[in-house]
Parts: sequence; structure tokens; C-alpha cells
Amino acid sequence: MGCSSSLPDRSAGRLSGLNNAENSGVPDAKNLRVKLVLLGDSGVGKSCIVLRFVRGQFDPTSKVVTVGASFLSQTIALQDSTTVKFEIWDTAGQERYAALAPLYYRGAGVAVIVYDITSPESFTKAQYWVKELQKHGSPDIVMALVGNKADLHENREVPVQDGIDYAEKNGMFFIETSAKTADNINQLFEEIAKRLPRPSSS
Amino acid sequence: MTESNLNLLEALEPKRDAYGFAVRPQHIQTYRQYVNIYKEEEEERSEKWKIFLEQHAKPTEPCFSEVEDRKTLQAEATEMKEKPLPEENKESLHVEASEGNEEAAIEAKEETTSEKEHKVIFQSEATQLNVEAASEEGCRKTCQGEAIKVKEEVDSVDESKETSQTEATELEEGVASKRIKEGDAPSTKLDSAGSTEKPDSASLQESKTEKPDSAHSTESEREKEVQLAEETKTRKVERWAKTRPVLCAIENMMNSRAKKGKNMKNMNMNESGDHLPSIKEARSPEPESEDEFEEKVCVNVRSSREENDAGNEASQESFFPWKEELESLVHGGVPKDLRGEVWQAFVGVKARRVERYYEDLLAQETYEDDQQSNSSGVFRKWKRQIEKDLPRTFPGHPALNDNGRDSLRRLLLAYARHNPSVGYCQAMNFFAGLLLLLMPEENAFWTLVGIIDNYFDGYYTEEMIESQVDQLVFEELMRERFPKLVNHLDYLGVQVAWISGPWFLSIFVNMLPWESVLRIWDVLLFEGNRVMLFRTALALMELYGPALVTTKDAGDAITLLQSLAGSTFDSSQLVLTACMGFLAVTDARLQDLRDKHRPAVLAIVEERTKRGRVWKDSKGLASKLYSFKHDRGSLLEETKPAQEVADGDISNLETRSSNLDELLCSLNADSEVDSLPDLQEQVDWMKVELCRLLEEKRAAILRAEELETALVEMVKEDNRRQLSAKIEQLEQEVADLQQALADKKEQEAAMLKVLMRLEQEQRITEDARRNTEQDADAQRYAVTVLQEKYEKAMASIAQMEKRVVMAESMLEATLQYQSGQAKALSSPRAQRNQASTQDSPRRKAGILSFGLGWRDKNKGKPNFEESTDGKSWEET
Repeated sequence: MGCSSSLPDRSAGRLSGLNNAENSGVPDAKNLRVKLVLLGDSGVGKSCIVLRFVRGQFDPTSKVVTVGASFLSQTIALQDSTTVKFEIWDTAGQERYAALAPLYYRGAGVAVIVYDITSPESFTKAQYWVKELQKHGSPDIVMALVGNKADLHENREVPVQDGIDYAEKNGMFFIETSAKTADNINQLFEEIAKRLPRPSSS
Repeated sequence: MTESNLNLLEALEPKRDAYGFAVRPQHIQTYRQYVNIYKEEEEERSEKWKIFLEQHAKPTEPCFSEVEDRKTLQAEATEMKEKPLPEENKESLHVEASEGNEEAAIEAKEETTSEKEHKVIFQSEATQLNVEAASEEGCRKTCQGEAIKVKEEVDSVDESKETSQTEATELEEGVASKRIKEGDAPSTKLDSAGSTEKPDSASLQESKTEKPDSAHSTESEREKEVQLAEETKTRKVERWAKTRPVLCAIENMMNSRAKKGKNMKNMNMNESGDHLPSIKEARSPEPESEDEFEEKVCVNVRSSREENDAGNEASQESFFPWKEELESLVHGGVPKDLRGEVWQAFVGVKARRVERYYEDLLAQETYEDDQQSNSSGVFRKWKRQIEKDLPRTFPGHPALNDNGRDSLRRLLLAYARHNPSVGYCQAMNFFAGLLLLLMPEENAFWTLVGIIDNYFDGYYTEEMIESQVDQLVFEELMRERFPKLVNHLDYLGVQVAWISGPWFLSIFVNMLPWESVLRIWDVLLFEGNRVMLFRTALALMELYGPALVTTKDAGDAITLLQSLAGSTFDSSQLVLTACMGFLAVTDARLQDLRDKHRPAVLAIVEERTKRGRVWKDSKGLASKLYSFKHDRGSLLEETKPAQEVADGDISNLETRSSNLDELLCSLNADSEVDSLPDLQEQVDWMKVELCRLLEEKRAAILRAEELETALVEMVKEDNRRQLSAKIEQLEQEVADLQQALADKKEQEAAMLKVLMRLEQEQRITEDARRNTEQDADAQRYAVTVLQEKYEKAMASIAQMEKRVVMAESMLEATLQYQSGQAKALSSPRAQRNQASTQDSPRRKAGILSFGLGWRDKNKGKPNFEESTDGKSWEET
């Protein structure tokens, strides 16, 4: 399944947006709030990942082209009873929309860079985004490299090892997911949540 | 009838709105509430528009007769060509006939728009008419076959499989207009007040019967031939319908605007280096046969007329006194069944349309499909993107079945070819899809051209410069209008552009409920600029600002605004707030603000392209061309003559309009086309011609790439200079730092000295302290010594006291003894001693009193001494 990189099984509960109310206001050590931006080539499934994560849906009949960017938020709870509210910006994939991307990745605490394991081109594009973020993103940004459409492994064209290697070289977290089967989608966000810098509890 | 259709649709697909678009589950309830309001509004506006169009369709009628007076025989011939066909089937389909008549009326009116054009255009019109007749005939056939059932169902497209999808759409169009006619005619007949309609239609019928024609059989035969020959092509490709005559007045007004726009573009071009005229001049000496291809003349005439137009701009404004009335109607919304045509009229589709241009673009496409290697990388990229996006455009919409998506594909590919500086940009798929739902394919193409090339010029290009500029402009307007709201958003860390960016780029498609989107588009297309974008966005902020101010974090604010905007079902309120509340936001104001913010955006873009070299895909070129176009830099002039030398008619690297011109020119160049008797030959020839054009294009692209590499070189050199300057600067800095370091060292030494001195002083003070301590010890010692002495003294005093006490007691004893003796003496026997004893007690009393006094003295003394002693002890 997805061949995630040496990730132990995780079982953090999920709160489906229930504690938005108690989460509002200034974030503290227990209630984190983070801006997350999704980047990647067109059609790799960025919106699908978000919809799967936030709404638990995957509907191939209602996929719509993202123009500019779209926003969704979701809160999860970790085992140590911290909650993390993700403010997710899902950006448009077409190359020229890259001109608008800085607007969305500026100030983001997390960047999720997605490629399609059946498309080497999208993997190249993912590398472009990594470089762009290394140059222009905030220096302490948490980056995750995500190979989506893991369910289509028979059409795989990007070997898992390539993803692992590239992620390792760039100090990123790597995972393969499938928005269609929901594989590793929650793990992805939980793992990100764990890697977030905590405000020092003074 | 329309309503029943809508109801049907609703019943079939409860999750879709009256336009066939999906309604989000959370909005279904609200939508249901608004359906009735929409219906009422729709009825109201249909009525208003009907009255308006009736009033203003008439003034153009005189022009009709005028045209007739002008003996444009050929034109009449073409009209006649058209007539017989409807007459043949008059009995079976009366409505159809009258429609055909209307068609003729359009022709006539079209001619009134320009007399000059009219003369030369006739030939092209003839072909146009053929095509039209063809489609009309197809339409009629199905109408006869399937009778009126077809028009009952808008979504019956699938059923009429036999007639190709293309015709089906045409049918829809026809049905729509028929419906209106049918709806109109009876109502006016019943309504004696609405008598205006009657004479109108009466005169139409008269004019129709007035024109019997002898040549009709031959004409129609020829037509059929042409039709047969073109049939395959026509069915697949040609999808063009004219707007109904009642809209001609509006069309005329807007056409003049479209032409003005074009004209301005030409002028700009001329300013930039006079290349276009030179190209045209270069072409003119080429052989001009009698059968000169019409378009060329047409273009020439048009351009000359444009010059006139430019002079008459002012007079044109006064020529349409009902513009304000129309404006308020547009603010109230365009009726559903008029919308497609009204939009075309607004965009000036007729004036924009160039005969066969769309077909040629499609032909180019299929041709390149055959030789796949031919299409350039950029184009392949667009094509792939379009393929990806086709199924993601209004998924599940009933009208966008396989055939619908084919049209969408053709439309987008044709646009990409038409304007390579834009190519394909996500968002255009939605626009094209929307337009296809409202009008035939080619009409949709020209409408899209108008929207993207003019209204949104520079918006969807590779760098999206104008789109970024508009965001900065909008933010400034927001700060000006809603300072509190913006402050709050700033506080939350929300940038306005995050939300408004997608609004603008999608022109609110998918961001608002459809009714609202369409109402905004009505106004936007009418105004012909992006003012309505800003006004609508500001209106949304005004409506939802108060709610936004209560949010406590960025996520909540954005979510709230998104969901509020998504449920803006009260389209009338939105449009009126937008149009009435923000009158100060005018195009002129926006232009000023854009000019103010553009340099910043261009600088960033320049920066990006510099570093993004590795990833370029002729992207840099696009941006450069963009800035050339806007700055009219010298490099453009360099580029152009070079191309001209290579070959006169390559100008496709230039802006879109020249791209269009190129095609025209190439068509002109080869006037033999017309003289070729055989269509097959013509096709072959066209292929050859296409080949040639493509080669030329490739040459031009190569040249462009060369130029680009040259540019890159230059840029690099620029970098070098910058770098060396930077190095110098850095060296200077290093020297400065070293100097500073030396200074620091000196300071350090000085500090050390000071420190040493301080230490010495410390030592001295230490010594002093020790000395004083010794002193203190000595003193303490002295004190103890003194204490001892004092104690000794005290002890001796105590002894002395004891002794004194003893002495006293002895004294008293002595006194008592004496007094006893004195008693004994006072007897006679003792009297002889009286004298001596009298003396002696007095002496003894003297000693006694001394002793007592001393004792008293001593008793007070020790107390005093003790207290002083304690004090002094404490002090030491």
C-alpha cells in the first residue's frame, strides 16, 4: 500500500472540524494553527487530496479545475492531545499560475508538494517547486513530498526510491498516497503535524 | 414554455439549477427559495426587454429601405437567394418562413452598417448565406421530421442523434428564437395595445411576398451543390448563427465599439514601427485578378472605415440615445433566451468575425494532427492541458456530453492557435463551456476572442501580468473603501488577493451561484471592460464585511467569506449594490491605478524569468513580447525587420491581431484560390499553403529563439557587470571591516590599561581596608584592657564601700556609746566633766557628718559610671 517510507503505524484520532470554536484565538502549545500550501503539476490530485482529508470524499465525477486557488481548513488531534488546525491553500496546477503561487506560499508553515507516480513530468515539476520554496519560502518551512495516485501502481513510472532519495536529499518528509483509496492521506497530515515546530512552553 | 422546460429539468435533476449546473448540497434549500423569485424576475425582464426591442428595432428599418434605394443589385440577389427556400415550405412551417425572412432582414441591416463594406462584402456574404441556408435547411428537415416535439425539450440533444450534434445546437438556437416568436406573436395579437408588432410582421411578410424570383431554382441548385461539397466540413465545423434582427440596434452600437478597439490596436501597431502597413504595401503589387479574394478588400475597406469611425467617435455616442435605457435593462438582467445573442451583440461578434477564420484554425489543427511532429512544444503542452481539463469543466452538465466536449475542445484549440500569446489558460475552459451553452460554436469562439483579447487583455497570458496588477489595484481600492475591514484582515494575516484573485480570474464562475454569475457577466460584457469585476468584488465585501470583522482567525475569515459568497443567491441585490454603490470606480480610475502598480509587477516578473531560465518553455519570450508590446522597446523593431527580410508575411510572433492579419494576408496573397474550379484542388492547394505557412512560422520561431538566446546573453552580461560591481562593493566592505577590526583592537588595549589601573587601585584600597581592620583590632584590644581596669576599679570600689559600711557601723556604734556616756555624765557626778565632753561630741559629730556625706556621694556615683561604661563599650 503506497509503500510509505519507513513510517510506523500511527493512530491519532481525528476531529472533523469540531473544535474550530475552541481553537479560535491565539494558538498555544496545545492548539496549533498552521498555513499549508499544496503545490504541484496540474492534474496530480492536489484538490482530491484536500477533499479526501477534509471531507472524506472522492468523487471522480465532480472534479473541477482549480482557478487561482481554493481554501479549506481542517483540525486534527494528535495522541499527545494537541490539536492542529490546518489552513489549506490548494493552488492551481497550470504552469503559468506559478506566477501567483508566491502569494499563497509566502508565510506558509507547511508546503505539500504533490506529484503523480504515473507521470515523470509531474515529478520534475515537483522538484521545481522544491527549489522554488528553498529559495523563496520561509526558511523553517516544513516540506512534504507526496507521490499521489499510488493505487495506479501498475502504471507507475516514478520509482518509490526516486521519491525517497530526493526527499532525503532535501530534508523533506516523503509519502505515497492515494486520494482515491484514502491510503496514507491522514498519515500524511498527522506526520506533518508532528513535525511542526512547537511554541516553546515557557 | 421555457419555464416548463426548466421545471422539467428541475424535476429530473434536483441537484442542478435552471442552467443545468450543479447546486452544492448545502445550497439546495436556499436555491429552492430563490427559484420563484428568479422566475418572477425573469418574467418581468422578458417583458421589459420585449418592449425595449420593439421600440428600438424600428428605427433601423428606414435604413433597410435606404439600402434598397441604393442599387446594390448583387446584395438583393443574395437576398433573393435566401427567400425561395422558406417559401417552399411555407405551409408546413410558417414560423420557419418568417424566420427566414428575418434572416434576410438581418442581411439587409447588416448592409446598412456600412455601405462601403456592403458593396465589396457581397461575395463573401453569398458564401455565408450558402452556409446559412445549409444549416437552415438541416434545421428545417428535422423540424419537419420531428415536428415541434424537438423544441419542447432543450435537452433533447441526445435524441436527435441522426442530425449531428452541431445541427442540434443550431436547432436549439432556432428553437429558442422560434419560441420567442411564437410567444410574442400571439400575445401581441391578443393584446390590442401591443399593436406595434403587427405592422412589423405584416411588412415583413409583404416584403417577402413582394419578391418573387425567377432565378431561385438555379440558385438553390447551386446552393445545394455547394452544400454537398461542403457538407462534411460544414457539419463538423461550421457552426454559425446570426443574431435576431431585433438586436441589430444593439449590435450596431457595440460593433462600433469593437471596431474602435481594433482600430486603436492598429494605431498602436503603427506607432510601434509601421510594419503592418509596409506588409500590406508589399502585398498589394501581387496579381489582382477580377475575382480578387473579397476579404482583402474587405479588410482594406474596413480599415479605411475605421479611420472614419475614429473621427466620428463623438457622433456615435449621440447616435444611440437609448444607451442609458439599455444600461438599466442590462443591470436588471438579460432574459435567458436572449442572453446568448445579446452577449454576442455586446461583444461585437459580427464585427469581429472574419469569414472562414475559425474553420482555417480548425483545419490547421487537423492538419497538424496528421503530422504530429509538426506542432510546436508549446502547443502540445496546451493541448495536453486542454485534454486534462475537458472532463473537469462543469462535470456532469447535461449539455456537455461527448459532442459538447468535442466542441469545447475545438473551441479552445482554435483559440490557442488564434492567440499564441495566451494559448490556453485554465479558467478559459469554463468561459468557453459557458458560452457554448448559450450559442453555437463559432459564435462562442468570437465571443471568447472578444472577452480574452480585449476585455481581459494581458490577463491570461503566460505571466498573468494584468491579473496581478488588478489585484494590487483592488487592494488599494479596498483600503480606500473599507479601511476597518482591511485592518482586521491585516490583523488576522489575511491578504485580500488570496480571495479576490480567484474571483477575478474566474470572473466569478464557480465562486457565486449561477444566477449571480450570469447577471454579472451581463453587465461586464455590456460595459466591455473589467470595471464590473471590481464593483462586484467591492459589493461582496460591503455585503459580507460586517460578518468578516467578527472572525478570529485567518482560516475562519476565509472560510466564511467563501461560503457567504457561494450563497449570494440574491443576484439583483448584488448587481445593484455593485452598479450603484461604486460609481466612483470607473475605467479611467482603474487605468490610472493600473499604471501606478504595473511597474512593481513587471519587476517581479522580470526577476522570475531571469531565475526561471531552466524551466522556460518559450515563456521568457512571451513575457518579453508582452513588455515589448507595452513599452514599445527598440527590440521589437529589431525583431520585425528581420522577419520581414526572411519573409514578408510572418507576423505571428507579434500580437494576436496581427496573427489574424497574417492569415488574411496569406489568403490575399494567393488569390488563385478563388479561381480554382475544383474544391479538391483548392483543398490541396490550401494544404500546400498551410505547409508553407508552417515552415515560415517555424523559421520565425527559430529566429525568435535566436533572438532570445541573444537576449539571454545580454542579460547574462548584465549580470556580470552587476556581479563585478557587487564584488567591488564587497571588497570595500571587507576593507571597512578590517579597519573597524584594527580600531577595535586599539580600543581593547586601552581598555586593558584601564583595567590594570583599576586593579591597582583595588589593591590599594584592599590594603587600606586591612590597615583599618588592624586599627579596629587594636582599639578593640584597648577597650578590653580598659574594661578589665574598670572592673578592677569597680572591685576595689566595692571593697572600699564595704569598708565604708563597716566604718559607718563603727561610727554609729561609737555614737551610741558616746550618747550613753553623755547620759551618764549628766548626773551630778559627771557634771565636772561637762565642759570637756561638750567639746568632744562636737568634734566627733564633725567626723561623722564627713563620713556620711562621702557615703552618699559614693552611692550615686556607681550608677552613672555604669551607664557611660555600657555606651562606650557599644561604640567600640
